[in-house]
This record gives sequence, structure tokens and C-alpha cells, in this order.
Amino acid sequence: MLEPQPLQRRAATAQETAHVASGLRARRKRKNLLINSFAYLVLGLIALIMLYPFYWTLITSFEPTGNIYQAKLWPSGWSIKNYVEVFRGTTVPFWRMVLNSVVICTLGVTFTVGFAALAAYPLAKMRFPGRDLIFYAILTLMVLPNEAGLIVNYSTTVNLGLLRQDNPVLNVLAQYAAVVLPGMASIVGLFLIRQAYLGIPMELIEAARIDGAKELTIWRRVMLPLALPTIVAFSILEFVAYWNSFLWARIVLRDKELLPLSAGLLELSGTFSTNSRAVMAGAVLTIIPILIVFAFGQKYFMKGIEGAVKG
Amino acid sequence: MTIPTRRESRREQHKKGSSGAKVTLRNTLIAYAFMLPFLILLVVYHTWPVFFGTYLAFTKYNVISPPQWVGLDNFRELAQDEQFWSGLRNSLKYILVVPVIQVLSIAVAMLVNRPMKGIGFFRTAYYVPVVTSFAVVGLIWTWMYQQEGPVNFVLQALGLMKEPHSLLNNPFTALYAVMFVTLWKGIGYYMVLYLAGLQAIAPELEEAAVIDGATRLQVFWNVTLPGLRPTILVCSLLSTISAIKVFEEIYVMTSGGPAGSTYTALFYTYSRAFVDFKFGQAAAGGLIIAVISILFGLVNFRITRGGKADA
Repeated sequence: MLEPQPLQRRAATAQETAHVASGLRARRKRKNLLINSFAYLVLGLIALIMLYPFYWTLITSFEPTGNIYQAKLWPSGWSIKNYVEVFRGTTVPFWRMVLNSVVICTLGVTFTVGFAALAAYPLAKMRFPGRDLIFYAILTLMVLPNEAGLIVNYSTTVNLGLLRQDNPVLNVLAQYAAVVLPGMASIVGLFLIRQAYLGIPMELIEAARIDGAKELTIWRRVMLPLALPTIVAFSILEFVAYWNSFLWARIVLRDKELLPLSAGLLELSGTFSTNSRAVMAGAVLTIIPILIVFAFGQKYFMKGIEGAVKG
Repeated sequence: MTIPTRRESRREQHKKGSSGAKVTLRNTLIAYAFMLPFLILLVVYHTWPVFFGTYLAFTKYNVISPPQWVGLDNFRELAQDEQFWSGLRNSLKYILVVPVIQVLSIAVAMLVNRPMKGIGFFRTAYYVPVVTSFAVVGLIWTWMYQQEGPVNFVLQALGLMKEPHSLLNNPFTALYAVMFVTLWKGIGYYMVLYLAGLQAIAPELEEAAVIDGATRLQVFWNVTLPGLRPTILVCSLLSTISAIKVFEEIYVMTSGGPAGSTYTALFYTYSRAFVDFKFGQAAAGGLIIAVISILFGLVNFRITRGGKADA
């Protein structure tokens, strides 16, 4: 890449050199073309491995009958009967599970992001005794392995009375709370948002304080708007995390009616074992919201996980 | 750059020290009020499990009645439990994924770091498995691995297998089949981290090496790889720990079978707790896994020499 430049300069004085230079450039171009086509070949092959399983599931879910697990590029026939079966919800309450997922994601994202955004403010922009202590304690907690987390959190949830079965309305709310509460204090989120706050000029906050603004007002009117890109990025990451999580919900929920979609999908695969295509239809329906969010918030994802590691 | 550099944030802190709001009782209370919801959740669901989980390892506990101190009984039982040992062995075997996933994601990151047309599509495509739930991914690959399914088709077409096998139902292949899914789902994640690492290496360094007549391989070995060392530390640490703690893919795809061939350490603790309701023994297993992952973390740190780029 750098070689042609000195050669070019000399070409102004010597004719032959110019000839050699253009020859060199042509060869380099050919070589680059070869490398590039090889690179595209490899890239395409990897893309095929990464995407074919999804594509295969999609086309198979539209087949009415036939050899289900066969490798294929095109479905043997088209039908929406598997989707109708899922939508009807004869064995698993599909729409109820969609509702559960929406409730769990809304509660989860709102409070996780809100609590992290609140807690990050004093850690980034206030002086108070114990600040460094709290900061480093949280940092330590992040690296401390916690393999008994599932077990202890289950016992905590039971002991908090969140799984009690005595009042139909309250129990539903309590079980939703049981699902979302353990994930609500996100250390990664706290660090991401704190990092964004640190970049906000102190003068803005000072000016607001001199004008007599309350800290909560400063947080809402100055910090949140200026840290918005990070907050949006973190919200998207959290949405995906809550939408995708299934294990804790399956452990903790007594009421199968309250399962979110991803956990319900596993129930579906148990009850629908006679029609795997319907389960495939369910899998496709479970992925769609994630793909939409991912398509729109792609750049946030990349920034988010880079920041999570740097933070 | 939206993320402030370390120097900037230090300047920020300095300024805060000189002109920030005074440390008064009122301001301290406000600061803690901001952090209160986060800290409560953090203590209940992150700090408490670390301590209570460690305590539970020395007790008999079934959630309903209070824990009973039994000393080292749980550990003695674990030592005699063949299932625990095979779980531990499988978890350690799972670490095989780490070098493979690291080498492949560095290669993929270098490939998608090339300024080529349409490279954004490939980066996105490789990231799709990362944002998909293990509930969905596990089911998709369970279907793909069926005897008459696409995986067998490809293996036979490549001449790697004479007859189709049900790979997840064979004790010799099941663990490796699940490992491949972990690899497939994880590459995109590490690719993004390595991509950030590659972009942080000053292009002048590589150009200077090329001018000095270094070959591509020499540039990679002497400039690129040392520059990536901090990223390699973080990534191999993350993937080693998640390999030891592998659980979700096992839970969805094989439930530890066939013949216990995919029974991993964390799956053991899960079944002790939520199938047998022996929470104490499960906590003891968890404690052992935690200690092992700390040890591996330290080894990792030593191998990569603390991630210092100039070491």
C-alpha cells in the first residue's frame, strides 16, 4: 500500500520506472482482488454456518408434512397450519405467554435501567463519605464467583413469600416480581452509566445547583438527557436479556400460565412433541422481536458489550 | 469519543474536589437515597448469596425448614458421589472450547476488520446467534442434530461419517455436539471484543513493520498479537469461567444424558437442589466450582502475563 508512492515520485523523472510502477500496481491490484475474493468466500461460508440453522427452522415451520429433519434449501410445501396451532394455544397459552414476556420485559428493563441510572449519579458526581468504599465493594462483587446464586436466590424468593398461593391477584404480581427482582441490580449497567455521567461537564451541574435545582431535577434534566445514548444502549441489552432468560422463570414460577415465551417454548417442546413443526413455529415467533430490536439497535449492541468489558 | 479517557475523568474528580457541593449530612443522605434501591437489591440478590451460599455448603437445608449445621458432611458425600466427579470431569473437558473459540474469534475479527464492501452484513450475521436465547438455540440444534438432519447430511457429504448417527444420543459424541453449539453461539460475542481490540492498535505500528520488510505473519505475530494481549486476557478469562459453569445448553439439549455423558458440575448442583431438594449439598458443589473457577482465573492471568501489552 505504501510502496507505490515513492515509486510514483521517481516515475516523473524516468519513463521506464513509470512502466515498472504501473506493472507493480496492476500486480498488486490482481493480488488484492484474489485475496478479497478468497476473503468473501470464507466470510460467506461462516455466514452460512451462522444463519442456516435459523433459515432451516423458518422454512421447516412452514411445511405441512414431509420429512421434517431433512437438510433442505426450500420447503416441500407451504402452509400456516403450524402457526395456527400455536396461535390457538390448545396445549400452551401462547398469547398469555406473549403477555407475560411483555410484562416481565417492561418491568425488568424499566427498573433495572432506572435503578442503575439513579445509583450511578452520586457515584459519578457527588462527594460523600463511603463513596470509594461502595464503589470498590461493588467492583469486587462483580468478580466474585457466585455459583450458589441460583440456590440462595430461590430460598430468598420463597422466604420473601413471593411464591405464596393464597390470593389470586396478588400472587400473580408477586410471581412476576419473583422473576424480575434478582436481575434488577445490574453492576455492568451501573458502570456503563457511571462512565457516561463522568463525561458530563461539572459546570452544568454546578450551574443548576446555583439556580437552586434539586438533585433529582438535575438528574432528570441534565444527567439523563446527556447520558441518553448509553441509557438506550443499556436498555436494549437488558431487553434482550429479559426476553431471552428462561431458566430462573422455569425454576421459580409455580403457575405455568405465567411463564414468559422463551421458557414457554420449552414447555411447548414437551407437550407438542408430536408436532415439532409447531415448536419450530414457536421458536420463530420467539426470535422475531429480538431480531427487530437488534436490527434497529445494532450499533448500540457493539458499543454496549465493548463498554461492559472496559467498564 | 463519548467515553472519557482516564485522564479526563481524573480531571473531573479533581474539579469535584475543589468546587463540588460541600460534604454535608444533607448531601450525604441525598447521595445514599439515590443509591438505596440499587444497593438493597444488590445486597439481597448478589451479596447475600455469596455468604449464605458458603454457609449452606456446611448444612443440611431443604428451604422449608431452617438449615442444620453438618460440618463437612456434604463435602464427604460429594467426594463419594461418582456423579459429582463425572460432572466435574465434563466441566473441565468443556474448557477445550476456550482455545478453539479464542483462535477462531481472533481469526474472524481480523477477517471482518478488513475494509471491504458489505462487511457490516457479515458482522451482523455472526452476531445473530449471540442475541438469540439458549432456549431457542438449544431446540434448533437438537433438531439439526437428528439422525436424518442437516448436521449428519453435511458430515456425510464431507466424508467424515459413513452412516448417520443421532449425535446427541450417543455418549461419545453428545458432549462435543453441545460444545459446538457453545462455540457457534459464542464466536460473534468474542469477535466484537477482538474487533474493538484490533481497532485500538495504532495502524502506524503495523505500517512501520511492513515498511521494515516484515511479512504478514511477522506483523501478526510481533505487532497484532501483543497488541491484543489485554483483550485475550479478558476474553479467555470470560470463556474459561463460562465453560466451567456451562449449564443452559446442557439443560435444554441433553439434560445431562445420554448415560450421564453431558452431566456437568453446575448441572449436578442444579439437580441436587431442584430435583432432590438437597440445597446444602448443592451449595457445597457450587462452592467447589467457585474455587475451581478462581484458580483457573489466576492461572489464566499468569499465562497472559496480566494482559500487559508490553510484557
